[in-house]
Amino acid sequence: MTILEAAQALRQRTVSSAELTEAALRRTGEINPKLNAMITMLDQSARAQAQAADRELASGADRGPLHGIPVAVKDVFETRGVRTTAGSVIFMHNVPARDATVVEKLAAAGAVLVGKTGMHELAYGVTSNNPHFGAVRNPWDTDRIPGGSSGGSGAAVSADMVFMAMGTDTGGSIRIPAAFCGTVGLKPTTGRVSRYGVLPLDFSLDHMGPLTRSVRDAAVALAAIAGFDPRDETSSQEPVGSYLPAPDCSIRNLRIGLPQNFYLERLDPDVDMAVRRMAATAESLGARVIPVRVPDIEALNTVGRVILLAEASAVMEKYTGNRDQFGADVLSLLDQGRLLPATDYINAQRLRRVMQREYAQMWSKIDCLFTPTTPMAAPRIGEKTVSLGEFTDDVRLATTRFVRGINVLGLPAISMPCGADRRGLPLGLQIVGRPFDEALILQVAAALEDATGKSARPVPPI
Amino acid sequence: MKNWNKIAEANDLRIPETDIERVAPALDALEAAFRPLTKNIPDDVEPAVTFRVFQEDRA
Repeated sequence: MTILEAAQALRQRTVSSAELTEAALRRTGEINPKLNAMITMLDQSARAQAQAADRELASGADRGPLHGIPVAVKDVFETRGVRTTAGSVIFMHNVPARDATVVEKLAAAGAVLVGKTGMHELAYGVTSNNPHFGAVRNPWDTDRIPGGSSGGSGAAVSADMVFMAMGTDTGGSIRIPAAFCGTVGLKPTTGRVSRYGVLPLDFSLDHMGPLTRSVRDAAVALAAIAGFDPRDETSSQEPVGSYLPAPDCSIRNLRIGLPQNFYLERLDPDVDMAVRRMAATAESLGARVIPVRVPDIEALNTVGRVILLAEASAVMEKYTGNRDQFGADVLSLLDQGRLLPATDYINAQRLRRVMQREYAQMWSKIDCLFTPTTPMAAPRIGEKTVSLGEFTDDVRLATTRFVRGINVLGLPAISMPCGADRRGLPLGLQIVGRPFDEALILQVAAALEDATGKSARPVPPI
Repeated sequence: MKNWNKIAEANDLRIPETDIERVAPALDALEAAFRPLTKNIPDDVEPAVTFRVFQEDRA
């Protein structure tokens, strides 16, 4: 069941928020021991919120499609009175006195917060193999990673624990778990969703967005959380659009760019085939698929890595005196950032502007870009490298190769299921749009979802 | 190649030598990829980090 289906059932009185919430708590109770997707459960407050939602709906006070819907947030969003760990031993007992703006907005929309999801330590990695809270596991194969850093959010949505879970994305951390777990994941434009009250990994690359079971559910979630926030200096005053695609949305005559370089290189042939199949589907729906050559994405990724290393190390500098508090992989990244000269950071931020201008030229030729989200399906827990044809790549670098640069450019991007590999593991299609054109990428993704149906939106066996 | 040990020491970063050995190959690779990119940055390009005095004053 999707958010929109549940919302309709709530208004037809065929189900109550209390029943949906009990089902979410029961499912989580059954499955979480296998997946470790949740760090904190909020059974009591969730039940109270659900009863309040039922009372409001019965009295005719309707807060919109999220009203009464069980959701979760990654354990990096501050929740007043509820600990917020960031998956780190440093914040193990951190109980904030405020709610993040996103948490406030979800509450205002009537959503029922049932728990806080597991993640890669400090959101600094792609495996969610957390040394302090244990590995989060992929519902498709519990020996495999769910991706990260929002791995618990991906696993929780994929395994039907909740209808929507919030994630954060600094170098792909919403889109990667969405691809590996077979869900939708939306990273909005920089400034579209407030960062206030979210423990930062980084200053200029962090983005907040939803993971959901369907494209339209992602649109519903974005509509609830988007908007200017004076408490976040990077928040944009760009008006919030109308995001929900129509039931019969058309993509006729839209120009879809299919990269001829970089994005369809060094990847599993199953991924290549799945992305081309989605491009062919788009063409069959009347869109124009235009071959494009993209600017130097390898350089863009390098710039992104310099910025992230420097900024994340600046954020965590005051904690690095006690090195035992960090997992080995995170500590290694923090050390790298501390060793970079300040001039490299400044020049990376200058190169960011240069590359933004180069990339912007593409938008005169196309309306959106299709790429794979990741070059392969979810690796096994503990795997350090992946083999992609004749190449062997580091798991972290391979996993972030197609997504990291989009954060540097600040563009909106969605990952949606696009089928499975030969082992039956889900794969993701990434659709990238112009700044603040979330409505268009949601429209394209919804049209593809409508056309491909359940076959591209698989359900895990767990 | 840069001597990362000496850089750490000069900046009093207190990173154990064995840990620096562990990160040195990654830093060398990043350095090799990043350094050439910086050669052609036009002089008038400012970093994408902004300080807006009006907002700072209001805060």
